[in-house]
Amino acid sequence: MAGRPGSTEEQAIRKLTRVRLTRLDKMMYPATGVAKADVLMYYIRIAPLMLPFLRDRPLTMHRFPDGVGGEGFFEKDAPAGTPDYVEIFTRYSETADRDVHFVLCNNLDTLIWLANLASLEIHAVLSTTGSYESPDLLLFDIDPEPPLGFDDVIDVALVVREVLEEAGLQPYVKTSGKKGLHIVVPLVSGYRFSEARDFTHGIGKQIARSTPRVVSEFPNSRDPGTIFIDYLQNAHGKTMAAPYSLRATPGATVSTPLGWEELRRGVLPEDFNIKTVLSRDEEPWRGMLDTRQKI
Amino acid sequence: MRNHGGACLTPGRRSEPKPAQLVKAPGKAAVGEKKAKPVTAPQHPAKNGASVPPPPPGDHELHGAGRPFWSGSLTIGLINVPVRLHTMVTDRSFSFRLLHRADGQPLRYDRVCTRDGRVVPWADTVKGYEVRKGEFLVFEPDELKAVMPGADRRIRIYKFVYYLSLDPVYFETSYLLVPDRSEEAYSLFVTALQELGRAAAGTITLRTREYPVVVHVYDGALVLTTLRHADEVTMPHAFPTMPALPEPKEAELALAKRIITDLSGDFSIGDYPDHYREAILALIDRKLAGEKIVYAEPRPEEAKELMQALQETIATLARK
Repeated sequence: MAGRPGSTEEQAIRKLTRVRLTRLDKMMYPATGVAKADVLMYYIRIAPLMLPFLRDRPLTMHRFPDGVGGEGFFEKDAPAGTPDYVEIFTRYSETADRDVHFVLCNNLDTLIWLANLASLEIHAVLSTTGSYESPDLLLFDIDPEPPLGFDDVIDVALVVREVLEEAGLQPYVKTSGKKGLHIVVPLVSGYRFSEARDFTHGIGKQIARSTPRVVSEFPNSRDPGTIFIDYLQNAHGKTMAAPYSLRATPGATVSTPLGWEELRRGVLPEDFNIKTVLSRDEEPWRGMLDTRQKI
Repeated sequence: MRNHGGACLTPGRRSEPKPAQLVKAPGKAAVGEKKAKPVTAPQHPAKNGASVPPPPPGDHELHGAGRPFWSGSLTIGLINVPVRLHTMVTDRSFSFRLLHRADGQPLRYDRVCTRDGRVVPWADTVKGYEVRKGEFLVFEPDELKAVMPGADRRIRIYKFVYYLSLDPVYFETSYLLVPDRSEEAYSLFVTALQELGRAAAGTITLRTREYPVVVHVYDGALVLTTLRHADEVTMPHAFPTMPALPEPKEAELALAKRIITDLSGDFSIGDYPDHYREAILALIDRKLAGEKIVYAEPRPEEAKELMQALQETIATLARK
């Protein structure tokens, strides 16, 4: 808990949040010396930018109770003891053949609770509870295979952007926080996942034909020296690392929304981490969900 | 119980049990020789119903009192006695958490795939029955559900048996049956069983399993004990190491019987305390007194920073 039981600090914190903070000193990122208190601090500070995106979006937690050095586990179901302020979305899962009780991060306390559970990574589906079967985001997941690196990913992302803009669309980009980039296009309601998938696949194929080393088909996705434009994430129940989610990397990187110009100048995924993201002035995805588009 | 004659014939469970009365079994009756009973039945004083007094009051906690975990009825042919089942056995064996020696953190068990060593989420698991080494039949939940016994809320009684003919090797777990607005029928059943020295044998379905059960009178109340299935117990003569026994000599037998008679008495479960548990509890007390238990607390400045971040974020969110 925060402070000695009944200490003034703890009492003051409990007036501000319903979350019982535990094991604040637990080391989460040993390589960078980031403890759970730092993770909590990060998510509290980033909340104003992160919460609008997370609203009504079923989550998958990627929890690391022993920090990134230990084994993490994915959790879709609200765990036992989930407090009342956490909103739940119950949905039958065909793969699991049972109801899954998804967590919705619709308030600050839920975000703090997730951080306190050591859910370092927060993944969200590409639709919201209001129309769960219909995507509100199109996702191009671009990843390099060595020896290609992030610069090559940037090159391909800029081509994707060009093609999308030629089609009259306004795409947004973020680092995945790992090796790649995510490009998303917010969609007007009513599309099926299959339509989003076919569209993304179509763009990928088109770029693969004209751009060396780019592959758009799954069987080739792991070929060395290629960049894969993954369209398969556009599916019911699939998730993407939420914008501003921490990632379980040694450097505590953050999946960070970027401006296209910023990307063009050249960046590295490691530039955006728990220590740097909070001091960024840019808010490249601001209003993103208000620019829903037709494909 | 039958050894006590009218000692506990009061219907139902008394509000004030009188263990002293129950313990006082007439000397010779405790051996049970005068009773008509199958010759195969061995004497098991520990399980012979009311000859076991309740444990000393200090250890007597009401486990889940007032909260039955099953309710239904005791059914004998066309007669139904509504009852509720209460847990009356609590495992008090001592348990420790397993920690990582290096940092003192508790360990967690994971379902790990034996092929790639990765942790498998519950959602990705399925049940398999190993037919041969490494070969499994896969069962979906629905297939298993189809063959589960129906939970029909009945304790079906098929037969009445002499309580002493039951052997404790089959006993599994005992539950208290409490009358469910059926005091008269319950009382009748208690008294009749007691006067005849019998127990009721039948079945109950708990969760997904059907168990053989026996219902007997203990401390003026009906107690249901689930039994192991016949194939779960290996009979003594199935053991190859069990030799054939020679006939004892008459004089030696007489001597042995005299020793046994001299050492005979009433069984009292309180005579056998859990020494290990007591030793561990004492050890814990000593450690608590002598050693500081360290767990890291956040520095006050850390708490202050968190507070400030919370205040600012709450203010920002309120402006939106």
